[in-house]
Amino acid sequence: MRSVGVIAILAVAIALSISMLIARDAVSAKINSVRASTGNTITVSPKGFFGFSGGGTPLKATKIDGLLSIANVTAVQESLSEELTSTSTSLKSPTTAGSLGSQFGGPGASPSGSSTTFSIPVRVIGTNSPGNAVTGGANGGGTEKLTSGKAFSPTSKADVAIVGSSLASKNKLKVGSTFTAWKSKITVVGIFSAGSTFTDASALMPLATVQKLADASNQVTSATVVVNSINNVASVQKKVAKAVGSKADVTSTEQTVQTQLAPLNSVKTISTYTLLGAVVAAALILLLSMLMIVRERRREIGVLKALGAPNRSIIGQFISESTTFTIIGAIVGFFIGVVISSPITSALVSASSGSSTASNTGGFVRPAGGASGFTGGGSGFTPPSGSPSGGALHFGGVTNTLSQIHTSVGWTTLGFALVAAVVIAALGSTVATATIVRIRPAEVLRSE
Amino acid sequence: MLKVENLNKTFHTDAGDVHAVKKVSFSANHGEMVAIIGASGSGKSTLLALLGLLDAPDEGSIVVDDVELANLDSAGRTRFRSRGVGFVFQQFNLIPNLSAKENIKLALEFAHWPKEDRDARADAMLNMVGLDTTKSDRRPAKLSGGEQQRVAIARAFAAQPQLILADEPTGSLDRSTGQKIVELLRSAATQQQATVLVVTHDEKVAQKADRRLEIEDGVLRELA
Ligand SMILES: Nc1ncnc2c1ncn2[C@@H]1O[C@H](COP(=O)(O)OP(=O)(O)O)[C@@H](O)[C@H]1O
Ligand SMILES: [Mg+2]
Repeated sequence: MRSVGVIAILAVAIALSISMLIARDAVSAKINSVRASTGNTITVSPKGFFGFSGGGTPLKATKIDGLLSIANVTAVQESLSEELTSTSTSLKSPTTAGSLGSQFGGPGASPSGSSTTFSIPVRVIGTNSPGNAVTGGANGGGTEKLTSGKAFSPTSKADVAIVGSSLASKNKLKVGSTFTAWKSKITVVGIFSAGSTFTDASALMPLATVQKLADASNQVTSATVVVNSINNVASVQKKVAKAVGSKADVTSTEQTVQTQLAPLNSVKTISTYTLLGAVVAAALILLLSMLMIVRERRREIGVLKALGAPNRSIIGQFISESTTFTIIGAIVGFFIGVVISSPITSALVSASSGSSTASNTGGFVRPAGGASGFTGGGSGFTPPSGSPSGGALHFGGVTNTLSQIHTSVGWTTLGFALVAAVVIAALGSTVATATIVRIRPAEVLRSE
Repeated sequence: MLKVENLNKTFHTDAGDVHAVKKVSFSANHGEMVAIIGASGSGKSTLLALLGLLDAPDEGSIVVDDVELANLDSAGRTRFRSRGVGFVFQQFNLIPNLSAKENIKLALEFAHWPKEDRDARADAMLNMVGLDTTKSDRRPAKLSGGEQQRVAIARAFAAQPQLILADEPTGSLDRSTGQKIVELLRSAATQQQATVLVVTHDEKVAQKADRRLEIEDGVLRELA
């Protein structure tokens, strides 16, 4: 009966340590996958460059080019975001100026309030990394892909463009079609689709071409610095910030994700300490139980000694007893631990990430249906990371997946359980042995 | 043949030294039953512990069948405890989770009694002490005090030791049961040709012995 109690307490302690181990593994795996998907990029944008009309002074391209010489930097993707109005292009925006358009028109819009007098500008992004811009790799992971034609080369100076699918259909553009922009004839070489109304209404052109046509030589509105390893992002970010000076904002998703991973990291820490605590508790439980059992059977041990039982045979009996307790406790505890690890992990994660989740709702949400007034930043497909919107969007990803942490039992967990059980049993046995050896057989002659 | 000479044992306690056994010398023959009488605290149990190698004397000699116990190494002492001496306690002290018969077989195991003969030997010993054969598979808790002490005597004699040390064997029993137990020890001593020392403060028990020794404050003397 008492043995059942000992095994039960032991099982609970082992269950707790197993579930903590599983929780820890699950959270570590999550942290690693979030970090891995974060991307190893740093975004450079003019200070205050965000919102409806951009703002800030554009960055100097020559200065940005110099970032490539920083150690561990593998590429620098530059972009120049421009707006083409009806006076400078033949293109028409596929986005209709609805209520949002009137809003942009503001009080100065036509008295009749007619939206027809207000035309929405078309956004053009000059980029030196069309491949990345199209795949969105540098922009926090978009789903843009070419639906026809091909991309222009990074160093192209040609009057070419890749146009978004909705912009293309609005203007009946195909590969080979032309349109005018800044009084020049631009040839469409490709059409892309990003699945986003906002992005699909824009056009990509070579950086040099936009700089020349828009009379913005040596200017970029955003740059993405690609770092060779996520581990170097923080150090490179410091160097980039130093290089570009105070006129630019230097942000990285790594940094943002790092703050967002803080709750996960604290769960990891909690589970590590709880794990250690539970193992120590399990060891203590067995230790005290064995001490109790040996003490209780002091007289029996004394009798065995008086009967001429060798110490090792008495010790062997108690060691096999404590080992049996531990093995049964470990097996029962393992299964309980596996079963409770999932709810424990979710409880831990939701409890510690609650406050950060709340901040997520405060982020800006891009209105669907084409709010074309946004100049945005970066290469344009997604708002610059590190800005409130970028943070929100990224964190949206993190919080969504937080709840999707999956617990699983690996061989390491099993191995740990085994090692812990052996260590605990050995501890319990050592204590039992030490006590047994010290029992004087003469005590059995006392008749209390 | 047991020969004890000049045995001394002092306990060093916080309250001071207790000289429990003082220069004790005596001898006893095979098949002889010797009673040791003394008041509580006079040193009876301490003397038995020294004779059974449960404790070590400060000085003196114990010779059992020409073997000086002080010269035994650790393995020799364990061997003597399992084959040279048998204990009978006031509290019976049977192993609680073993049956009567298993208790005897365990003692035979410690004595390295041939495995195939243990069962028959245990039955023979239970027969000798007169335990009802239907009770041989019972655990101690299911036996009366007298029955438990019979099993304890069977266990003590099982490995054919030269020496049987019984410390107040009737102390936990009623008078008539106690008498039967002493008679059993008396006959077993003769039958097994063992030297039996019985510690008691019951004069009636002492009268069954061949000789009587009295111990007072650790000093032993022969009674007429
Ligand atoms: N382990 C011990 N430590 C200290 N004193 C002891 C110990 N064993 C016995 N004594 C003391 O030795 C004396 C003799 O004890 P014991 O041999 O048990 O007497 P008896 O069995 O005749 O009642 C007593 O004073 C007792 O308190
Ligand atoms: Mg005593």
